[in-house]
Amino acid sequence: MSTIVVLGAGISGNTAAAFLRKKLAKKHKVIVVAPNSYYHWIPSNIWVGVGRMTVDQVRFKLAPRYKKVGIEFHQALAVSIHPEGDSDHAKPFIKATYTLPEKQGEEFMLEYDFLVNATGPKLNFDATEGLGPGKNTVSVCSYDHAAHAWEKLQEAIEKMKNGQKQRFVIGTGHPMATCQGAAFEYILNVAYEIRKRKLTDMAELVWLTNEFELGDFGMGGAHIKRGGYITSTRVFAESFLRENNIHWIKRAGVKKVEPGLIHYENLEGENLSVPFDFAMLIPGFAGVGLKAFGKDNTDISSRLFAANGLMKVDADYTPKAYEDWSVNDWPETYRNVDFPNIFAPGIAFAPPHGISKPMTSKNGTLIYPTPPRTGMPSGVMGKITALNIIRLVNKGEHELKHRASMGRMGAACIISAGYGMTKGAAATMTVFPIVPDFEKYPDYGRSIGYTMGEAGLAGHWLKWFMHYMFMHKAKGYPFWWLLPE
Amino acid sequence: MNNRPVVPYSEESYPPLPTNKTLFWRRFVPWQLVRFLILNIKILRIVAGGHS
Repeated sequence: MSTIVVLGAGISGNTAAAFLRKKLAKKHKVIVVAPNSYYHWIPSNIWVGVGRMTVDQVRFKLAPRYKKVGIEFHQALAVSIHPEGDSDHAKPFIKATYTLPEKQGEEFMLEYDFLVNATGPKLNFDATEGLGPGKNTVSVCSYDHAAHAWEKLQEAIEKMKNGQKQRFVIGTGHPMATCQGAAFEYILNVAYEIRKRKLTDMAELVWLTNEFELGDFGMGGAHIKRGGYITSTRVFAESFLRENNIHWIKRAGVKKVEPGLIHYENLEGENLSVPFDFAMLIPGFAGVGLKAFGKDNTDISSRLFAANGLMKVDADYTPKAYEDWSVNDWPETYRNVDFPNIFAPGIAFAPPHGISKPMTSKNGTLIYPTPPRTGMPSGVMGKITALNIIRLVNKGEHELKHRASMGRMGAACIISAGYGMTKGAAATMTVFPIVPDFEKYPDYGRSIGYTMGEAGLAGHWLKWFMHYMFMHKAKGYPFWWLLPE
Repeated sequence: MNNRPVVPYSEESYPPLPTNKTLFWRRFVPWQLVRFLILNIKILRIVAGGHS
């Protein structure tokens, strides 16, 4: 009998746990440890943040879902991994602390044969002074943050209705923040809500980003067929902002936020500031702070985790210049090299390097987006991790069959820009592969056939359809396994 | 769409803006139904081809 412990119940963790439970015999145990009592479909937070969806439409309780299919669930925060066991335990184990109100703070341990670290990121608001809910800006990174953002947005809308002009600054809140796509979607939705209320003249919208050029999205931008040309996503993104009367500030690393004032440094090394009435800025991401200990209780965190706290997997972490980056540096199985029974799919794995070219300001500050791994890639990584573990459990050690490198995987990013079956709009972007492969696609690093961008109602329907489809899948409703990641 | 005037030679003056015809096609339901099907097929092929 094998025990598989999955840390985290987000897109990656929930997908991995669901496939493990479905395909492994009942004698094997699948255990999920996650600090939140809810599953949460993050891409729809944008609609919570503009009041188009309620919090309960983007989440559901994990405990009943897991109980129904025989997954053991512990609402707890994992604190340490002991991959070699210790003097009292021959088997590897994890330690965690309950966040369940009835057992709050109680520590426990779980032995495992295989560990899936799918904890996702820590939203590192503390890396930027004054950033985040409870301080000076709002966020849409979790459902409660998005609900709070909607409250603040309504206040700003009321002020505009009363004749008070408002400046909305939306974008990235750290020089190396990622998830530009989510922030971009939010600013387009805010613009739509303002326009719908005929308050455009009372609002100034500003897109504040650490991208070198707009449309980079942490993927080094892309080239797409559009209007009879192969053109850059920079043109696509700028056109969208211009169309929605949104100004932009690029190459900006936010350093500090004071009430009503954002301080940032640009690549020229200038320290500038932008005033705001409403600001939604995405924080930097880091690992969740898990520690690792050896058999003699020495700290071996550096063997499992990179400096940013994300887990090392089968990537090539040799420091390289941008010109030497290769698609082959990216991991394929998300398996830790030192401890082959540990996997880290989704945002929890440490990327070997960026996708966007690193840019340094004249003061030496790194200002560029780190790679995005949310949504579709996280689901795919979770699935192949589960499939590989299933084969390891059933057949023993072998070369892992299932692989999903971000250099061989595509992604779709649907940026809604309005709401309604006939009034909605969206920019649909697909890239293939996510990490450019200049050996295979020497011109643009990506397949021009599969890398595309278009605007229209169809994208909005797709986003709306995906919300319900992925909630159906995550809840384990009939035929969930037939739905793609 | 009422676009505010931008300062000539400023960066914001360069991006293309959709014409009324483009805006019409973006909202024209029969055409968007076709695009919806095409987008679904493309995305499915990307997902299926992205892992082994």
